[in-house]
Amino acid sequence: MSKRGKTFNIMFAGVGGQGLMLLSAILGKAAVDSGLKAMTGEQHGLSQRQGSIYVHFRIGEPISPLIPYGKADMMIAMEASEALRYVEYLKEGGVVIMSSRIMPSVTETKSVALDKEKKTKYLTVDDIATKLKQVTDKIVLLDSLELAIKAGNARTENSVLIGATVACEDFPIPAEEVRKAVLALVPPKTIDANSRAFDLGRDAGSACLG
Amino acid sequence: MTLEDVKRTDSGPALMLANEAVVRGALEAGVKVVAFYPGSPTSEILDRFGEVLEHFGDFKMQISANEKVALETVAGASMAGQRSFTSMKSVGMNVASDSMFSIGYTGLNAGCVCLIADDPYAHSSQSEQDGRYFGEAAYVPMIEPATAQEALDMTKWAFEVSEKHKTLVIMRTTTRVNHQRGMVNLGTLNRTPFKRNKWADVKGQYFTVGSVARALKAKLLKKNEAIKRDFEKTHFNKVVPGGGNVGILTAGVCFLHVMEAMQNLDIALPVFKLGTLFPLPEKKLADFIRSLSTLIVVEELSPYLETRIAALAQRVNPKLNIVGKRSGFFSEMLEYNVPIVEKVLAEVVDKKISIDYDAVLKKAQKLKEILPERPPIFCPGCPHRGTLWAFRQALQQLRIRDKIVFNNDIGCYSMAFLPPNEFSDSMLAMGASLGISAGMEMSLEDKVIAMVGDSTLYHAALPGIVNLIHHNSNVTLFVLDNSVTAMTGQQFNPNSPFDAGGTPARKINMEKLFEGLGADKIVIIDPYETRDCIGPIKDAIESDGFSVIISRRECALYGDREKKKRGEKIIPGENVKETCRVIYACVKEFYCPAIVIDESDAKMVIQQDLCDGCLECREVCPVDAPRHMEVKK
Repeated sequence: MSKRGKTFNIMFAGVGGQGLMLLSAILGKAAVDSGLKAMTGEQHGLSQRQGSIYVHFRIGEPISPLIPYGKADMMIAMEASEALRYVEYLKEGGVVIMSSRIMPSVTETKSVALDKEKKTKYLTVDDIATKLKQVTDKIVLLDSLELAIKAGNARTENSVLIGATVACEDFPIPAEEVRKAVLALVPPKTIDANSRAFDLGRDAGSACLG
Repeated sequence: MTLEDVKRTDSGPALMLANEAVVRGALEAGVKVVAFYPGSPTSEILDRFGEVLEHFGDFKMQISANEKVALETVAGASMAGQRSFTSMKSVGMNVASDSMFSIGYTGLNAGCVCLIADDPYAHSSQSEQDGRYFGEAAYVPMIEPATAQEALDMTKWAFEVSEKHKTLVIMRTTTRVNHQRGMVNLGTLNRTPFKRNKWADVKGQYFTVGSVARALKAKLLKKNEAIKRDFEKTHFNKVVPGGGNVGILTAGVCFLHVMEAMQNLDIALPVFKLGTLFPLPEKKLADFIRSLSTLIVVEELSPYLETRIAALAQRVNPKLNIVGKRSGFFSEMLEYNVPIVEKVLAEVVDKKISIDYDAVLKKAQKLKEILPERPPIFCPGCPHRGTLWAFRQALQQLRIRDKIVFNNDIGCYSMAFLPPNEFSDSMLAMGASLGISAGMEMSLEDKVIAMVGDSTLYHAALPGIVNLIHHNSNVTLFVLDNSVTAMTGQQFNPNSPFDAGGTPARKINMEKLFEGLGADKIVIIDPYETRDCIGPIKDAIESDGFSVIISRRECALYGDREKKKRGEKIIPGENVKETCRVIYACVKEFYCPAIVIDESDAKMVIQQDLCDGCLECREVCPVDAPRHMEVKK
């Protein structure tokens, strides 16, 4: 929570097509069902896939839809490089929950391919984590795909990430409300896998933050 | 979920996107006819109305060919006694404004509301156009909400103002209001069945020219005075009390930035939160500024409020120090946020900002130096990628790359401007490529080529096409026929056999249209057969007269959804490494985000969860290395 104990700010970041809007809707429902107020500043618009996208998500007593720089208590990144892209919003010592998945941009692929000496390498999760560590040491790095497959469905990566949020001690929404919201909004056939994915994410989060 | 909240009949709290709150507000106000052309950041309004159309079954809806038609449609419904609503993006009003100015004169009958959404920062628009001037210019009342709750409440109020004063009401928003999700207290929903009226029961006169226009103008000025008196009293123009002789004037989302900035600074200046942009509540504003020494005006884009309050201050408080854009505190560029506002407030009242935002930004900038850009690109499976590749090949083979001019238009294909295509000599406004081409064709030695999508074709390109054919112009036009209005969320358009909510409609026959108009050559290509497109494109470009290349393949996002409905699976591609000779045509010239490089052998790999299985990359590959994965039965 911020100094005033009123507003908890989460910056969601990812790549178009990853389901960021669903993730934000899940936390929105969980917040409202817990009697908390929520507000978001979302990026809709051009519907192209694979672009950089974000949601400003605020719980408590937010006034503006946009989180001020340096005031996000948490960042949830569905793609690792996108965590760094919005690092100006992260507060010093804030929690980063991020997938280890990197989706290279086409321009990066081009520079890797066309380097005749093959010295140009893709940006790695370690490169990103090293930079993020200059802002916070609370980084939960999840192999969300592996955990999702372990949960029984490769498409439950978002539940893994959202499970990790409740491991954060300041997180204002009770864990069971978050789980309920996840299960209410995912396709009915995938409820069991999503429930397991949520638990795996929560356990992984606790291991990192505990 | 919010769609359920739009549908529920009881009152109560809900978490809603402001665009959805607008839909709910219009439904609560008893709207009966809605019409739209999609445009960011308003498209979700159209989409939600479409999603609840069948559920309610008590209102009529059309996806119009363009915003002017949409506004005329809802104006016609209002004249016919039905409450009606439309919304459009900032530049949509440019298209609609021809009729809007006349509607200002004639007035209307049943409540009629038009939302226009400006886009500071030009997130998804061709300019940072400030639409606030439309209200004053057309003598049409204009209001502005700040939150999702106000979006609902002011929509309902707008219907009342409209019906009481028999006028169109414009509700102006900005992107950060439209795409803000917040807590909303819903009112109850009492829908009534749709009933057609008899003209004799509702009729009025909506005709303006010459002496009629002059008489209407005199009436209009009186009407504006009456509206102004109402606006002096509305609670949507409110003063948030505070201490001292420094005050703030603001409206819309800036009000929220102001309140949060003041909380951060632990100050409470008096704030005038304006809800009516035209007419301005001048008496109330005069009372507010009379005793102030300094007024901070917080508004994005042009100094609309600042100019008007400065004029008012000349009369009531000539010594008032105005802190705004003219004094250099605020920019006319981009959108605002809490840090921008907090810095100015801190400077004016001499307080320390809550954190050093500039230091945070500077540090972030440094950390991000290693980060590759993620430029906007076409989706995996996008047919435009293939069309543009074949277009480039055709120009290369004809050796005319530097002997053509290419006028692009508005749509996803506007991205031809970006790598790897990096060409587009102009791109202005919906359908503008045709008129621009007419002027260039008269003036240049070069071959003139234009490009429009199917939705843009029917929106505003037809008069330009008629004009070119009529004048025997030597122009080649690409029509990218991808079945839907892709960029704004794959809405239907006159090129679809469907209307809003999936109701049946008549698809306009594009080939017959061009035949009927007298196009000299019409070729149809399939961008998924990418290589085979090159020849026909060359033929069309080389032929005399007005030639049309229809590149036909549905939008990948739309196509995928349709496949899913039919139970079909997407079969992704794979790169056969034994065949791959690391020529990198797929990387250099194609920019598909599903394509990456395996660092161990430097060969291309297709990320299967991103691949759409279009195999356009195989068409581009000189050795046919990519192929479909084998499907496990």
